[in-house]
Amino acid sequence: MNDLLRTENLDKAFGRVNAVQGVSLTIAAGEFVAIMGRSGSGKTTLLQLLAGLESPTAGHILFQGQDIGHLNEDGLALWRREHVGLVFQAFHLIPTLSAMENVALPLYPTAVRPEERRLRALARLEQVGLSHRAGHRPGQLSGGEQQRVAIARALINQPSLVLADEPTGNLDSQSSAEVLDLFRKLNHEFGVAVMVVTHDREVAAVAGRLIEMKDGSIVKRDHPARSLPAPSVRDER
Amino acid sequence: MNPAYLLAELARRPGRTLSAILSVALGLALFVSLQAYAAGYREAARAPLAEIGADIAAQRQGDVPEAFQGIVFPHSTAPIHPDEIAAVRRLPGVETVGEVVLFWDFEPERFLVVLGLDPTSNIGPGRLRAAVTAGRFLATDEHGVAVADVTFAHQAGLGLGDTLPIAGQPFTLVGLVDTSRAGQVANANLYIPLADARALSAAAPNVRAVHDFRAGDANILFIKANQAQADSVITAVTDLLGEKAIVSSARSFSQVLGEAYRLVDRFGWLVGLAGLLLAVAALLRAMAANLWERRRDVGVMRAVGWRRREIVLQLTGEVLALALGGVLAGLALAVLVTLVLSQTHVTVPVPWELSPTPHFLPGGAQAMAVTINLPAQVDPVMALISLALALTCSAALGLGLAGRAAKIKPAEVLRSE
Repeated sequence: MNDLLRTENLDKAFGRVNAVQGVSLTIAAGEFVAIMGRSGSGKTTLLQLLAGLESPTAGHILFQGQDIGHLNEDGLALWRREHVGLVFQAFHLIPTLSAMENVALPLYPTAVRPEERRLRALARLEQVGLSHRAGHRPGQLSGGEQQRVAIARALINQPSLVLADEPTGNLDSQSSAEVLDLFRKLNHEFGVAVMVVTHDREVAAVAGRLIEMKDGSIVKRDHPARSLPAPSVRDER
Repeated sequence: MNPAYLLAELARRPGRTLSAILSVALGLALFVSLQAYAAGYREAARAPLAEIGADIAAQRQGDVPEAFQGIVFPHSTAPIHPDEIAAVRRLPGVETVGEVVLFWDFEPERFLVVLGLDPTSNIGPGRLRAAVTAGRFLATDEHGVAVADVTFAHQAGLGLGDTLPIAGQPFTLVGLVDTSRAGQVANANLYIPLADARALSAAAPNVRAVHDFRAGDANILFIKANQAQADSVITAVTDLLGEKAIVSSARSFSQVLGEAYRLVDRFGWLVGLAGLLLAVAALLRAMAANLWERRRDVGVMRAVGWRRREIVLQLTGEVLALALGGVLAGLALAVLVTLVLSQTHVTVPVPWELSPTPHFLPGGAQAMAVTINLPAQVDPVMALISLALALTCSAALGLGLAGRAAKIKPAEVLRSE
């Protein structure tokens, strides 16, 4: 497989605290990777570094062979707009926008015409099974529905990489199963590379590869997900 | 800037939107209404003279007659000589000058206020030709004819064709005029040709006793001036007529209009401007609070690929839309307030000197006044100035606020809650 994203000796320090230390990893195109670790292990910081939301103290991040460390903040924003979809534990939808408008949010500053924007957003909502809730605002949606809207938003620009930070952390088991199913479908059917940060082994079990972090460093890697206990949530579906 | 997102933000935060629009609207309405109020009073101050087509009335204080017998000049009207009149005509900014001779005629059986006027003049009491209720107005180059105020004629039992003596000279009544329709300045009982009034005055012993009245003299001038130069004309006329000059204008009328007008005229700009700036400050305070609440939203926008300038444009657009909404609502409110103001009456006192009657006669000391609806209206230039001011302030401060908001680090605000 081709390398989509590669990090080389990545460090991130907040003052005297080294949140990420010497992380080198590779994510191939179409791969599903789970990063596990306890709270404070540095997995969320690593995801933010990979998303360009934080800048590394040292090391390099290469996307399709290009070092994104040279990009300024606006350059990183554009890079995210074109290549990366982000999903957060707290969904982070804009409360005043409808589901469809939230999905279309990354397209608002682009030259995409309103009608095309609407159609693309509706198609993504259809993909996550929420086209019937297009006009509803986040406050009118369940947690699981909100996360599916957030996933649809992450997909609106057809990214090659989706980065998800504890995507099921705020969901009940039923909603978690639906969201995991969506990630698996994205990865299997559409070839989108997915990297999920989680402390939930059931989530990690969906991934094709597992990376475990402790104290900012990778302590285990390349553990196949099948070595984990079978995820009961997935089995129920 | 995305209009759909902007409209969604404004429509779905109705409390914030309405309070921001209302604060701007109230400030702007205060600003524009105060200007309309002050402008209305300024216009009202022009009314007494405007009714006779003039901007300035010029007289010279004279001496009190030695005896109130026959023709005398009120002490507010000393002769103004032809060379002085010619000098006034030559002043820069003077468009037209109307001359009149006003005198009192004390006869044993009646008292008359008589005004000699040029019936061809478009300025001054010559305008009475539009107020004829019976008969006709004075014609050019005729003599020995008079037009009477209809109320006076009724009280004196005079009718058209009657002959009435003025200082022993017979005058035939050819018309009646309703002077109340032509203003309160230089009101008289009888109006006669200017040449006749001059001849009568020149021959009157009690005029000659205190005045050097020459052929071609007048004792009141009505001046139409270029508005832009009116102030300099007033100054120049005052200088020309000397220390005894009495020059009436909108400026002098406004000085007797009362404290409320003076306060508004002096501080209206300041209060209005302060109101407008407070409104913009309130809008920005609301927006600053709103942006603080929306830090997470801004973080989300950055995370999903919005560049800083795109966020700045979007947020500034919101501030501008609110300011524009406030300005439009404020202008509508100002129009409404001004409509109400324009239904109120304003009374402009006319100085005794401009329509003198002897104090010792019944009603002689009674003050004359012009009462009109306050001519207040929203000045389009003022509306545009306030629009530009509100939008410029909002844009500048909105850009500052949005610029700061766009610097939010998404990683800081998007950490799991």
